[in-house]
Amino acid sequence: MTYSLAVDIGGTFTDIVLRNSDGRLTVDKTLTTHNDLLEGFFRGVDAVLARTGVDAAAVDGVVVHATTVVTNALIERKGLPTAMVITEGFRDVLAIRNEHRYDMYDPQIEFPEPLVPEDLTFGLSERTLADGTVAIEPDEGEIAALADRIKASGARAVAICFLNSFVNGANEALVARELARHLPDTFICTSSDVAPQIREYPRASTTTVNAYTMPISQPYLRRLSDRLKTEGFSNTPLIMLSSGGVVGADTAGRNPVRMIESGPAAGALAACHYAEVLGIDRLMSFDMGGTTAKACLIENREPHVTGLFEVDRRYRFREGSGLPVTVPSIDLIEIGAGGGSIAHVDSLGLLKVGPESAGSDPGPACYGRGGRNATVTDADLVLGLIDAGNFLGGDMQLDTAATNAAMSRLAVELKITPVQAARGIFRVVTEAMAAAARTHATDRGVDYRGLPLFAFGGAGPLHACAVAELLQSTSVIVPPRSSVLSAFGTLVTPVRLDLVRSDVAKLASIDWARVDRLLDGLAGEGRAALQEAGCAPADVDLVFGADLRYVGQQHEVTIAFPADPRMARDTAAIAALFEAAYRNLYGVNPSHVPIEIVTWRVTARGPVVPFHSAAQPAGAAGSPKTHRRVDAWADDQQVPVYDRTGLAVGQAVPGPAIIEERETTTAIPPGWTATIDTFGCIVAKKD
Amino acid sequence: MDGVELEILWSNLIGIVSERAKALQRIAFSPIVREAGDLACALFDQRGRMVAQANTGTPGHINSLAFAGDYLVRQFAGKCVPGDVLITNDPWLSAGHFFDITVLTPIFNGDRLLAYIGSTIHHTDIGGYGIGAGARDVHEEGLWIPPLKLYEAGKPSEVLFSIITRNVRTPDAVLGDLSAQVSSGEAAAEHLIALCQRYGLPDIEGLSDEIVQRSETATRDAIRKLKPGTYHGESSFDVPGGEVITLKTAVTVDAETGTIVVDFAGSSMQTTTGINVVKNYTHAYTTFAIRSCLNPDLPNNTGSLAPIELRAPEGSIVNCKYPAPVNARHVVGMYVPMPILKALYQVMPDRVLAEGSGAVWTIQVQGKRADGEAFTSSMFNYSGGMGARAEKPGPSATCYPTGVAAVPIEILEAAMPIVFDRKELRRGSGGAGRTRGGDGQTIQFRLRTEEPWLLNAVPSRLNAGPDGLGGGQDGQHGRFLVNGEPVSTARKLSMAPGDVVVLETPGGGGFGAPA
Repeated sequence: MTYSLAVDIGGTFTDIVLRNSDGRLTVDKTLTTHNDLLEGFFRGVDAVLARTGVDAAAVDGVVVHATTVVTNALIERKGLPTAMVITEGFRDVLAIRNEHRYDMYDPQIEFPEPLVPEDLTFGLSERTLADGTVAIEPDEGEIAALADRIKASGARAVAICFLNSFVNGANEALVARELARHLPDTFICTSSDVAPQIREYPRASTTTVNAYTMPISQPYLRRLSDRLKTEGFSNTPLIMLSSGGVVGADTAGRNPVRMIESGPAAGALAACHYAEVLGIDRLMSFDMGGTTAKACLIENREPHVTGLFEVDRRYRFREGSGLPVTVPSIDLIEIGAGGGSIAHVDSLGLLKVGPESAGSDPGPACYGRGGRNATVTDADLVLGLIDAGNFLGGDMQLDTAATNAAMSRLAVELKITPVQAARGIFRVVTEAMAAAARTHATDRGVDYRGLPLFAFGGAGPLHACAVAELLQSTSVIVPPRSSVLSAFGTLVTPVRLDLVRSDVAKLASIDWARVDRLLDGLAGEGRAALQEAGCAPADVDLVFGADLRYVGQQHEVTIAFPADPRMARDTAAIAALFEAAYRNLYGVNPSHVPIEIVTWRVTARGPVVPFHSAAQPAGAAGSPKTHRRVDAWADDQQVPVYDRTGLAVGQAVPGPAIIEERETTTAIPPGWTATIDTFGCIVAKKD
Repeated sequence: MDGVELEILWSNLIGIVSERAKALQRIAFSPIVREAGDLACALFDQRGRMVAQANTGTPGHINSLAFAGDYLVRQFAGKCVPGDVLITNDPWLSAGHFFDITVLTPIFNGDRLLAYIGSTIHHTDIGGYGIGAGARDVHEEGLWIPPLKLYEAGKPSEVLFSIITRNVRTPDAVLGDLSAQVSSGEAAAEHLIALCQRYGLPDIEGLSDEIVQRSETATRDAIRKLKPGTYHGESSFDVPGGEVITLKTAVTVDAETGTIVVDFAGSSMQTTTGINVVKNYTHAYTTFAIRSCLNPDLPNNTGSLAPIELRAPEGSIVNCKYPAPVNARHVVGMYVPMPILKALYQVMPDRVLAEGSGAVWTIQVQGKRADGEAFTSSMFNYSGGMGARAEKPGPSATCYPTGVAAVPIEILEAAMPIVFDRKELRRGSGGAGRTRGGDGQTIQFRLRTEEPWLLNAVPSRLNAGPDGLGGGQDGQHGRFLVNGEPVSTARKLSMAPGDVVVLETPGGGGFGAPA
């Protein structure tokens, strides 16, 4: 009997999933312990093991972990002092950024405070040219003096970022070696290891984020490995990355910047898993929680991946106000709308919802913790979509009086009835989420119309059908165990590492010997990481890709090669792939413009995890446990309420209907019909 | 219409234009469109009123599209059929130079005219002089496309297309971007028709009445809260070649009608180089300056722009007359907000910012690679410091009022044999004050070449730095040095192989007396 374990530490809850090789799952949720995240980790794990009577030693499969430890460190800025060593003459690269003002209209705009302050930024005489030639080699005496200054500064981590190091990292490696000799207890990383991509500002930003979080992530992962061993688990942990990759703790510890947002990434992977199981090529995952909603486009059963994202958006959560990070990452659409989003009337008399959120404290008015503002959850309660007595399975009694008071105040301002105000909130938040999804998809050249929605998170299944209608979609899938879906996602994902390296060259005059060296380097790195994660060398599968553009353009288009491009060395075929991808995105191809390759990509992947979602036998159709008044679709409508666990495979539930489970509620509007498929998913279709 | 219904419909209209703007930005060949969002996209009602506009990159386009749309709607009233697409790049009717082409598509639901969707984007080339301020009149600056039908009843105008194709240096890119504008109009039409069907609207006239009226009322109410009176502001700056331009404004707050009148009387007269600004473009930066201080969260539309009136003497540099050259109108246009902000300081000191470096410095390099192959770089640009705010310092190396991004050093070094020795903040170049102006930066570069090369640099503020505000000190002026010697010219420079170029961009002005 093989058991595998997954633990996903999120902002509020730590989720645990124990999987038996026969497909049975045991899940648990415990509050995240912010002072020491591992306390909650093991509390939850112990509880699940005790409940199932499984011994730690019996968990002979993987132990996969997704965690917010890195994200927290960045948002709270509680890391140790971190230094940066940079090519002399370019010390202000973090302060200057790319000079862009991300919001034209706000004279009070603010930019992210660099992680490395001015007095911990050190210039060093050295230079590599764009072709990789070393014009100035670092001087050992200068490095020794630099080491003394770093020591005196109190910095505990050092990021080394030299110009053009993505072409030739020799100078960075030399300085890293020397500094390590002088400063044995300091965490050191180089930009050519962390993010070997062209563009000095995002690379330096990424490297400093990495250096800043190394002193936090490495001890954390070491303690985790040690404690798992002490408790008798047979395997070392695997760590989920934001790209959807899974690697060993050592690789992750060296690259903490790749662990940001690993939980939401795992959610998108769960969506891919179901796409595979259900035989659907394209869908949109839709995860709506307390403060934000996250969506992800899935095409060919793979999530969209981006090479650049931002962490810690400081100024009014605006795009552009965060620290840029250039590591492969699942492309999540972040929408400032969740159950806690606050409704208000603006100066034009318009009903607005969010981006301010009541969070979990005081939370929506219905939490009865002093929240006076009407939120999305309050609207759901007024409309009868959720049940005051059945929130979290009845563990948390909702304060209907407080909700009604908040909604009445809003209604008076709008000169409408409280029910109309609640419907207004529901509609406005739904429109906002649909609009964000549309703009994001359009920005990526994706036709969003008709994509099935894969809904999860506390509020996702409640709003999904309404969002789907606005995206001209006719189908919504609500998976089982949707409240621990990210943890589940880590268990259905093969070990994987995504690697990139820039090397700008015109396609027509490409130097294949050089490409060989570069790709061999990336492949070797990927193989080593997978081996550490317990994958046999023969099982490692390599996937190749590249970022190309027309000469003179500023942005690249990523293509995937059907096979190792070095086998055919067919530049015409590469050009054709690029031109097709470009046309797909932009509609037209400029003729006569030469093409250049900017960046190479290699993904090293272990074998697919065999997973059988336990198909459920058809049983007797469940009948409604009750009817209640729901005002969401019509006045005073009596709507049947089902218990999800009581629904049988194949059973059809015509809308309007409400399907309740412990952590979430699914709303089936009139004109939709839900059926339970053999994997336990609720599949709602518009009639 | 209640606050729920209007919110949903209004946000949908903004959603349609925002989505189209994203698509255009993604498609565009023009680097400045992709990097800085140098485009505008807006929806107009049957009466030519701008109802919704995407929140995109550069103020100069955004509000001038409101005028272009209105003009085209009136000009072609009753003459449009389904499948028509209108076009113009007339500098005086749209965004102030030929590079910016406006395309307006009437949206028909069946045979019934519903609305119009328009976009303006900066194209890669328009023939004529090319980039720079050196043409002697507007005709030397390139192809003039008067208001015409680019498509008639779905059929492309062969005459117009062949004229455009033969008169630009990069026909593929220009036709590509034009087709993107056209297809963007089609997509917007589809979305608008779907929206009207979903919510049972025969047209958007009633909706646009609500939007325009509420926006206008809210803007007038915001103006009524200000202290009435006439406030003066003045800004002077030197442009390439050393000429000093002065912009004077009298900003009158009329609390009774809720109107702000901005009068540029007394400003410099139009000049012989292509830095002259048409009234539309001045209007765009004027409304930008006022609205970004007054009520930046209110969406742009005909209603929110209506309470702001512009007066600019005909023949002045901010309302130039045909046939003045206008190609590099941003060099002056980007200073338009500065005297206005100085005037507004007297009414809402906590919301304005001090003078900043103004126009970005642009550079272009031409030369030969080691193997003898000739190259011409695209334009790249660097910012000085922004002016300080009442409670916050001015951001360093960040431009205002535009917000274009700088091209990374590594991208430039990969594209041509240029080597940068330095790109760092010019510490202390921002003016001191209760809050400091942003610092400019020092950039040093040279070429790895054995051949002579050409340098086309457009610096400004080389003689006097930006003024401080309210007792804040001035930012330092910029410096443009070749081999350590200051240079001031509007012409391209011939350079020798070992020459070293240093650009020191200006610092921003400080705010309030230094402690």
